[in-house]
Amino acid sequence: MKIEGLVREVLVRSLKDYMMPFPTSKKVCTEWATDIPRGGGTVIYTGCMYQLTPLTDLYANALPLLSKVEGAEKLYPLAMAITPSRVHRERAKRILQNVAAALKRSGVQFNYLYEDEPYSGTVLLELGFVEEFAEYAKRVMQHFNRLGVKKLITVDPHSHYAFSRYREFTNFDLEVVSYLQLIRDLGTKVEGEYVVHDSCLYSRFLGLRETYRSLIKAAGASLKDDQLVTGPATSMCCGAPIGPLRKRESEAIASYRAAQLSSLGDKLVVVCPLCYLALSPHFKGKVMDLAELMSFR
Amino acid sequence: MRGDRVTWIYAVERAVKNNVPKVEAILKEHPYLLDLAMKVREGKTEVLRNLDRYVEETIKSVEKSGGRAHLVSNAEEAKEIVSKIVGTGKTIVLGKSMVAYEAGLRKHLEAMGNDVWETDLGEFLIQLADEPPSHIIAPSLHMTKERAEEVMRKIDNELNNSTHEKIAMTARKFLRDKFIKAHVGITGANAVAADTGSVILVENEGNIRMTTVLPEVHIAVAGLEKILPNLQLALYEALVQAAFGGLYPPSYVNVSSGPSSTADIEMKRVSPAHGPREFHLVLLDNGRREAAKDPVLWESLLCVRCGRCHLHCPVYRVFGGKWGVPPYSGPMGAMWSAVVYRDFGPAQLCVHSGGCREVCPMKIDIPKVLEELKKRGLKQ
Ligand code: SF4
Repeated sequence: MKIEGLVREVLVRSLKDYMMPFPTSKKVCTEWATDIPRGGGTVIYTGCMYQLTPLTDLYANALPLLSKVEGAEKLYPLAMAITPSRVHRERAKRILQNVAAALKRSGVQFNYLYEDEPYSGTVLLELGFVEEFAEYAKRVMQHFNRLGVKKLITVDPHSHYAFSRYREFTNFDLEVVSYLQLIRDLGTKVEGEYVVHDSCLYSRFLGLRETYRSLIKAAGASLKDDQLVTGPATSMCCGAPIGPLRKRESEAIASYRAAQLSSLGDKLVVVCPLCYLALSPHFKGKVMDLAELMSFR
Repeated sequence: MRGDRVTWIYAVERAVKNNVPKVEAILKEHPYLLDLAMKVREGKTEVLRNLDRYVEETIKSVEKSGGRAHLVSNAEEAKEIVSKIVGTGKTIVLGKSMVAYEAGLRKHLEAMGNDVWETDLGEFLIQLADEPPSHIIAPSLHMTKERAEEVMRKIDNELNNSTHEKIAMTARKFLRDKFIKAHVGITGANAVAADTGSVILVENEGNIRMTTVLPEVHIAVAGLEKILPNLQLALYEALVQAAFGGLYPPSYVNVSSGPSSTADIEMKRVSPAHGPREFHLVLLDNGRREAAKDPVLWESLLCVRCGRCHLHCPVYRVFGGKWGVPPYSGPMGAMWSAVVYRDFGPAQLCVHSGGCREVCPMKIDIPKVLEELKKRGLKQ
């Protein structure tokens, strides 16, 4: 089977069976949440992005090999047993708990869907499986309706962007807001100078570039910018979106981007789990998510 | 990293540093350009919605000004008609034209026994190196100065440790003689005015000016999407292209309406005068009419080929001219590979960074077009 066919098969099947991009244990997605009320209404939406992104690499490496094996799709149920490493799981927990703390500190009330939380379908859109995305969006909307969800507080740019596209394909009337837009009380001080790698989606598609940049500045840190490297129209992608189908090209872009950013400083802040995954192997210095740099607890 | 990619990244970084701040400064200094760009978008949209009518009007206008217009469906027909006009054993000078490249004109005319020379410096380097172009307005963008010198040694083996000026001077010396001897000049067109049949060409080197007036015959080859409703908008397109390409004001804007003429005796307009005695406009379809009817792909025909999106695209910055089907590379090239060659492969590499959309003067929603092309490519 060609790689495109295999990726499509894995995605569509897993979304159908579990509303997740790969067959995986739901515990990996939900283990970060201990004291958040279960239910609909206003919910924090993780899309299991921080939790599962570390597996993207594994799939991206395995799928080209599997695409050469006849009947590889039969191995599919075995994937259930694959989970990210302990280090990755602990990191995802820390980040999401910190995001929840930021919301609470700012007086936002919210619930969480736990294992009922569906994946947004964003990877379908990124790879060009637009019709499959449209179909899946309808299903997710029905699912949210059944659970009484009215408002989504997103924590990553890819899920947020995916929901911003739902209206093209289904009756989507939920309010979608990023946690970054809700932070009122920083409760944290940050010192030093940082380089920000902007998320393309936040920066150029969702109009949130200044939202997170001003949070970092308000906490006391300064940003090291260069008009040709971190400007609104010049900042480059980390390469991650094409990773599942084009591993080699995706990595070449990541290493190029990391080299650009390394020339500005050795402390890098990202606002997306995919950017973290793509850039950390190549960046010369420390890479942190915004929710690692700023502690809201 | 492979050696050619290292060289490419080195070359493109230099280009970005030279070009990106320049374009921003131009737009800040001459804010009316943004307004002109929107008028060009409207004009082009109007033509694309009524393409057949405007093609007909253009053909009539060209004939009225004493020129000949030829509508061709594909590259083969373009080669056939140009060969008929040119014949064999001629010296031919070419102004940079991506449509001529698309149609394979240079190689075809050479194979027919003509002495054919690219006269744009970048394109001349491409010809000497026998490589595909890597950028829509700077075809030799992949060559560093050092590599350009190495290539130029084919015509002057004394070159060593040259400056940019010295390399340009070497081409100038070599090509002067070709301009004088040329029987035929072939150019592209930045815009074609439907109401007057005029071809607009914008440039800095002066090679196009000479290509269009020194030889006896001028052939302009243009894609159908180059048509604007009138001369005013066609001139705007040339200015917009130059500005967003980072070269503003352009050294020269050429308007060619039919063959050369004079009205100096009793104010009666007669032809020829000093310039060409024949003017031909070859209008190439090659997938454009079909694209114009396509609900998503039509937008790609708005492109004025300023080459700005290339420098704001991560995929192009890493892979250069290798991303796309020559001469169409970069974000515009990923769209145009589909328009002209029905190749949806290049679109698959789009990372959806959105930098292209941010800077495109025509406000083409390039990521949206490429998303659709990805979808179609996967279905294939
Ligand atoms: S797509 Fe837009 S930015 Fe790119 S070359 Fe065409 S007009 Fe210029």
